[in-house]
Amino acid sequence: MDVDIIEEEQQMMSQSHGSRLAGKRPLRITVDEAHPFEIETYISSYTGRTYVDRLLHIMSVCPALAPQALQLAVAEALKGRDTNLYREIFNRYERIHADAGDEIPHLSVLAEPDEHWIEETNLRNQAEKTKLEVELKTYSSNMIKESIRMAHRDLGDFYRSIGEHNSALKHYTKSREFCTTSQHVLDMCMSVIELLVEQRNYSHIATYVFKAEAALDSVTIARGQTGPEPPAGSAQANKDKRNAEREKVQTKLDVATALSHLGQNNYEKAAQSFLKVGPVKGLEDWSGKLIAPGDIAIYATLCALATFPRPSIRTQILDNDIFGMYIEQEPYVRELLESYMNNRFKNVLEILERYATRHYIDIHLYQHVHNLTNLIRSKSLVLYFQPFSSIKLERMSQAFGWSVQELEQQVVALIQAGEIKARVDRQNKILKAKEIDQRAALYAKAIKSGQDMQAANRKLLLRMRLQQADLVVKPPKGQQGYNYGTGHPTELLSGDY
Amino acid sequence: MNVPGSSQTGASASLDDVLSQITTSSSPSSLNQYLRSFAPKESRDTILASTLSSGQDPLTVLDTRTNTLGILYILSARLHSASAPTPTLSVIEDFCSQFNPEQARLAPDRVTLLAKGIVRAAESSNNAKYALASLYSLVTRYPPDLSYLTTLHAIYLKTCVATRHFTSALPVLAVPITAVDTSLSDLHYNDNLVYHYSGGIALGALKRWREAEEFFEICVTAPAQVPAAIQLEAYKKLVLVQLIQYGEIVSPPKHTHPSLIRFLKASPYGTFVKMYPARVESLRALVAKEQDLFTQERNLGLINQAIDRAPVWLIKKLTATYLTLGLSDIGHEVGIDNVEEVRAIILDMIAQEEINATISSDNTVTFADVIPKFSKDDLDRLLVQAQEHNRVLLKVERAVNASKEYVTKALKHKDDGNWGVEEDMFPPGIGGGTPWAED
Repeated sequence: MDVDIIEEEQQMMSQSHGSRLAGKRPLRITVDEAHPFEIETYISSYTGRTYVDRLLHIMSVCPALAPQALQLAVAEALKGRDTNLYREIFNRYERIHADAGDEIPHLSVLAEPDEHWIEETNLRNQAEKTKLEVELKTYSSNMIKESIRMAHRDLGDFYRSIGEHNSALKHYTKSREFCTTSQHVLDMCMSVIELLVEQRNYSHIATYVFKAEAALDSVTIARGQTGPEPPAGSAQANKDKRNAEREKVQTKLDVATALSHLGQNNYEKAAQSFLKVGPVKGLEDWSGKLIAPGDIAIYATLCALATFPRPSIRTQILDNDIFGMYIEQEPYVRELLESYMNNRFKNVLEILERYATRHYIDIHLYQHVHNLTNLIRSKSLVLYFQPFSSIKLERMSQAFGWSVQELEQQVVALIQAGEIKARVDRQNKILKAKEIDQRAALYAKAIKSGQDMQAANRKLLLRMRLQQADLVVKPPKGQQGYNYGTGHPTELLSGDY
Repeated sequence: MNVPGSSQTGASASLDDVLSQITTSSSPSSLNQYLRSFAPKESRDTILASTLSSGQDPLTVLDTRTNTLGILYILSARLHSASAPTPTLSVIEDFCSQFNPEQARLAPDRVTLLAKGIVRAAESSNNAKYALASLYSLVTRYPPDLSYLTTLHAIYLKTCVATRHFTSALPVLAVPITAVDTSLSDLHYNDNLVYHYSGGIALGALKRWREAEEFFEICVTAPAQVPAAIQLEAYKKLVLVQLIQYGEIVSPPKHTHPSLIRFLKASPYGTFVKMYPARVESLRALVAKEQDLFTQERNLGLINQAIDRAPVWLIKKLTATYLTLGLSDIGHEVGIDNVEEVRAIILDMIAQEEINATISSDNTVTFADVIPKFSKDDLDRLLVQAQEHNRVLLKVERAVNASKEYVTKALKHKDDGNWGVEEDMFPPGIGGGTPWAED
């Protein structure tokens, strides 16, 4: 089923060298009827930098789509100011072309980098940079906190748009020093978080989310205190408005947290965070710029299927109206969930397989697809076997759509991992559940504990007596500060025995 | 109770004086004092080791039972002096089997000296095993009972192991050490370590794995500020014995010295343990690489036994996953290609009740769960043991409660509201009884 991917991987392994996915095996995904994927519809949910990023990723991962991706990327990049990104598109294509050979047409056939535009944009960027830096210097010498902060922020934004992320981060953090109100801190945190998500730097997201939440709390309190006293009737309306504001920011923070968990392989926490996310409106400008609502649905479902027990899935996903809105964006997710809840595991696995392309193409998800699929598969096996005391392996393999050998391997792995409490009858190809005689087991355990405890007590009493009699192994007098650090056995005392 | 000799200026007492003192003294403790002080230290033993002025061997004059203390001093001096004739074996054995323990306990250091002398004498006459009988008598008769650790334990066990007479050590090993009394014997921490280490080796050679494990564990977990090299050796053997017995190691108790654990993990033993159980070829390959180390540390025998047991543990793992399996499949998993060999191993395991299986005619093995059976007698016996154990613990607790250190400490913290602690000292029920009686 994943045969296409594996074969291509092995073929490409020998040819490819150092791709952008440093250290990971380069994946090559095919697009065919079994794996339907429409690049245009997919990419239309995004704009801006993430648009180009995703297209770049698609190019690396799926050379067949590279030409299309190239053209779309070029069109979008021209709208921005990042010349490096623009160039990168072409370089990437060249590299892929070198690997893929004749599958895709040569670069020159498709497009030429517009040198003229590059030069122009570079000049413009340079001019802007100088202007902003001069401003910053002026404000610094004037020591006006607010202006310095804004100058840093503007520089940060600028560097971000031309793609120099380290400098952008530096300026954002510098602006922290000059923040006077919590609102400023909040703004700064949000910008940094957006930057980190773009960079897929998952480990730092958590710290900034924490800071942002603290700032958000103080902002909401402050907002309630300052401002003119509203007339009694509109007090409620005010409060609602405040809460709505807070919710919007909170939504973004939740999404960021969830992404960071996903990036660090904490699938369960990721699922929980994703499901906490509020209504789609809350995402406002993030939607499209960083992440699409459909993505949220997919991430959440996959993580939940891999880690949640079935009742939780029902309560938290299917009965969750807010989340339902996300699912609307990607209907196949609903089908996936329904099949899982109704034990149609073959269907589940088929859907996963069909949309594997879609998953591998996603920049946040592709590293985890393999793990998540394995987890979901193991869970399905365990769930399937739960009601049975014995079942023919053949029937089970039919339910999952595998051969008996494959199934046996999977099942044995699960038994050895302790997930399924059963045994395989290899001769008759039956899986039989283990019946434990509780009474005998209890007796055995009690007796063993008793004996162990007695032995342990005896040894401890002896030890206590030895200590009381001061028969403790001590270093001979005169040995100054024995150094343990080397850990070499010759340091041990060799008694005269 | 006249104390001759020492008041005379210049001349120290001669052996004749000593002898008369020994035979006439009525209090063993004052005799002990005398024997320790009748001459300056350097000449004391030489005098004791010499012959009487009449040329007679003082040992022939003295009676073992009444003059134990005197003979003890003389014998121990004789065995250590280079010039005096070594007492014959029969003399030594007679003494050891008939001496009066209470008298001997007044001079524990001489007893140790005596034992060491016996070992030396036996070794120099190239018949180390002759020492065993006398040492055995010493070790069984000297302490009030075998559960008191003495220097004799360590010396005896060491000799048993050196002469490979492991079974002679069994009666001594059967009684676990529970008491340590430094007035009984001049103990050094090494005695505890050597005794339990040699004991472990002896039991291991007799293939009594459970007991060997316990002895090695006691050696390893002996209190130590700095670990002794012998503890590391004991730890290595402990680990190997655990592999033979359980197929995996048990994590050492928390009070084990951490550097021991670190050393073991870093050594080839650590790698062996991690790999175990695995197919026999891979284990043997690892051993071949480190063969010199293992031979040098005299653990090769244990290692080979562990490797021999490896298929057993692998098969046990298989029983947990499979209900039936063909003999060839099992051989494949375990790494033994010869089907007959596999069959033999499995039959062995069935005979020793390690697994519950049946082999059918077409070479398939069907496994079932091993159901432990308990008879009422077993349970009764265990309950009695537990009660006894409880009694002992209560006794120890009472002793500690009454001990000086505890009481002073408890009084210091009295004001912290620690009344609950002292409640435990009274048997429960008293507290409830009194108010009702007043009704």
